[in-house]
Amino acid sequence: MARLFVDTDKFSDGEGPPIVDAYHSALKDLVRRKFDEAGGHWNDFVFGKAQELITAKDIEAIEARLLATGHRFTVSAMISQRERPEAYKAVDGSEDPATFSFEHPDAKVEAADAQGREVRGQGDNVMQNAKNTIGVARYFRNNDNVLRCLNEGVPDNTIAIIDDSGGTLTAPILEKFKGVICAGGTIRSHLGILTREYGIPCLMNARISGIHEGDTVELESSGPAKTGEMYQRGEDGSVRIWKHVKK
Amino acid sequence: MSKEFSYAQLLETNNLLQNHGEETYWLCVTRTVQESKLFPVSAYILLSYLNAFYRWPTLLRKIEKHMPAERIADRVRNATTKIETIGTGWCLPNFYLLGREHLINMGMIRPQDGLEDVAYVLDFWKRYSLSWRRNEGHISAREANHRCQIYPERKLQVFHADQYPCEGGDALHTAAGKFMAATAQYGFLASCECRVSMTAHGPYKMADNVEMLVRNFYDLSQSDYPWLDGVADDIPYNCLTVTTSVKDTHFYLVDDWGSFEAKPDYKAENICGIGLYTSDPLTETHVPVGMGSREELIKTFEDLAEKMREANTKLWRRLATFTRDQLLDAGALVYYSIIKDIAHFAGCYEIDDWMMIDERANRFRGLLNDEYSNEVLGAMLVPLTLPSSQVQEYFMMLHGNQARRVYTPFQYALLGKDDYVGTVGGMRPGVSTLPKKVDRYRTSQGPLTNAEFNARVKAFTPALASEKFRDLDETWVKYHYDTPLADEMYKIEQQYSRKLKGKGAGLRRADVEALRDKS
Repeated sequence: MARLFVDTDKFSDGEGPPIVDAYHSALKDLVRRKFDEAGGHWNDFVFGKAQELITAKDIEAIEARLLATGHRFTVSAMISQRERPEAYKAVDGSEDPATFSFEHPDAKVEAADAQGREVRGQGDNVMQNAKNTIGVARYFRNNDNVLRCLNEGVPDNTIAIIDDSGGTLTAPILEKFKGVICAGGTIRSHLGILTREYGIPCLMNARISGIHEGDTVELESSGPAKTGEMYQRGEDGSVRIWKHVKK
Repeated sequence: MSKEFSYAQLLETNNLLQNHGEETYWLCVTRTVQESKLFPVSAYILLSYLNAFYRWPTLLRKIEKHMPAERIADRVRNATTKIETIGTGWCLPNFYLLGREHLINMGMIRPQDGLEDVAYVLDFWKRYSLSWRRNEGHISAREANHRCQIYPERKLQVFHADQYPCEGGDALHTAAGKFMAATAQYGFLASCECRVSMTAHGPYKMADNVEMLVRNFYDLSQSDYPWLDGVADDIPYNCLTVTTSVKDTHFYLVDDWGSFEAKPDYKAENICGIGLYTSDPLTETHVPVGMGSREELIKTFEDLAEKMREANTKLWRRLATFTRDQLLDAGALVYYSIIKDIAHFAGCYEIDDWMMIDERANRFRGLLNDEYSNEVLGAMLVPLTLPSSQVQEYFMMLHGNQARRVYTPFQYALLGKDDYVGTVGGMRPGVSTLPKKVDRYRTSQGPLTNAEFNARVKAFTPALASEKFRDLDETWVKYHYDTPLADEMYKIEQQYSRKLKGKGAGLRRADVEALRDKS
């Protein structure tokens, strides 16, 4: 079989992540086979015959072979799993919302203080506010969650708990939140940028535990904002998230 | 090797490759990951890179048949358009080069395949960037230690003079803040989660404790994106510029992603002056929007914010019904078409050029599931674990000290040989799963068809871009400010100014400050 130019590489340590290794190895095999099939010089092949011989069907067949081994893809966009449940792992967020909570292994948890506040985690404060922010926890993890509030209105005092640090999933209702706890990203994520623009208290990179839909939560939004330099220096600088419990 | 390429040319091409790679790594390490549960972000990014690799060389050559890169940049310097810091500063070279690197790692091409294309795209970028940044004399924000000071004195004086003062909590400050939040929100959605609908440049020194950051918002109205038809028709401006003066804050970093860092930290409450403008390829210079009075500007911000909110909601409802292929195409086309305004400014924009996925790129669609896309994009940028990134172990890369690099340079052993293919070739048919684009484009002259828009641009030469004025730069002004020609040039810039109309070239910054509204 033909050798590709990149088959000789003094310093390569492999293809990187396993799925990349699987795909790129298969793609290179495909290119070798098609180059053999075409014959002639690479210069005639690369932007010539290769464009006819290496087809979308060939590439789809690579994926089919991978799926046949039992591999299922990890999801990032909800639509991917919704359209192809047979190809993607089950999506987080399909759990029973009444009992679901994020459970981060690094969440700080402390017993209730004199005011009945249990520490239930911490996050990176996007901007320092005059006061802490108290509201009702509500999870927003997919389009359906957002659509319901778009049609029926966002309940007052909603502290949105979101695991998407992007700025589009909650785009039509973000302005209505009293506060945001985001289980990912940094203060520079799109969600961080937008909450700062709106003046909505927001903790990014939140690591929380035991906060359920309907719980009363308090963000230490009066604490110092995390800065870009703190990320570069590896400083934590996070502020607290409490759940209010009955005394 | 080709007769066209000398050793010096290859040396320069490799230098540009290395510089772009180092800046890309720094930006990716210091900025955050882009993610979304709505859009398959990494997948569309990869598709856009491949599309750029196959199409941009042809399209840039087509554009330069109408107008050279450096003269397009002359016009762009006097307007608000996407082909600024983020669009041309970083995306133009790097989207293209990342497409090349992906193909190298898939075994589809050798590093030397497409050499003439790569050298041409980088040369286009070099000429464009040098021209756009000519007032500060740099080729990139990186070279300027992450500053981006583009405008000449005459424009800065107009922005300075016409800004309305404001302070945290007053009606103008509040209205402007809500406008920027609503517009940023809508911009992220209209651009499929990416931040290319907005950027910033500056800082510009307005007073000892005041710096101005110019914030730009693009592609807001019905124009190039098919998914905005019926959603953004009522937004009256496609591009908006907000001039924001900020007190007691030093912007020590403004990069080619339009991000900024400040000491002390930027706080919206420190915004102390605001202005609002629009412009496009058919305007002479920035045109004030709602700047006739403070009250008019407040109402304009409020009205525009409401239109952005309405469009945002309509668009979200529409996108929630899109298939994955449609979301993939929309995102890929936002990225791929990031430089489309170059064609608009040259008067040669064609929808099939900019709103289609080339069949050569489209064949990789079946590869672009969420997991592969996330993993390969990450590996290609940070931590650089793909084979093409690995180099000899004594090397220490800038910013990271690893024996790695982002882009594969061209080998000098090619000199005098012909063992490469110069170009990917011309345009091939494109595909799109999106609704057919309505032939209606919002411009400063109202809604136009694509053909009308191109024709009007071709027929229009802004006076400041004419041969008479275009090379009268800041150094010329320094030594000729007292001439009738300098006065004439400044008066063109001042024609819409509430405070400076007809004042000419003789003012200094303190004179302008004295003319400003004080409350």
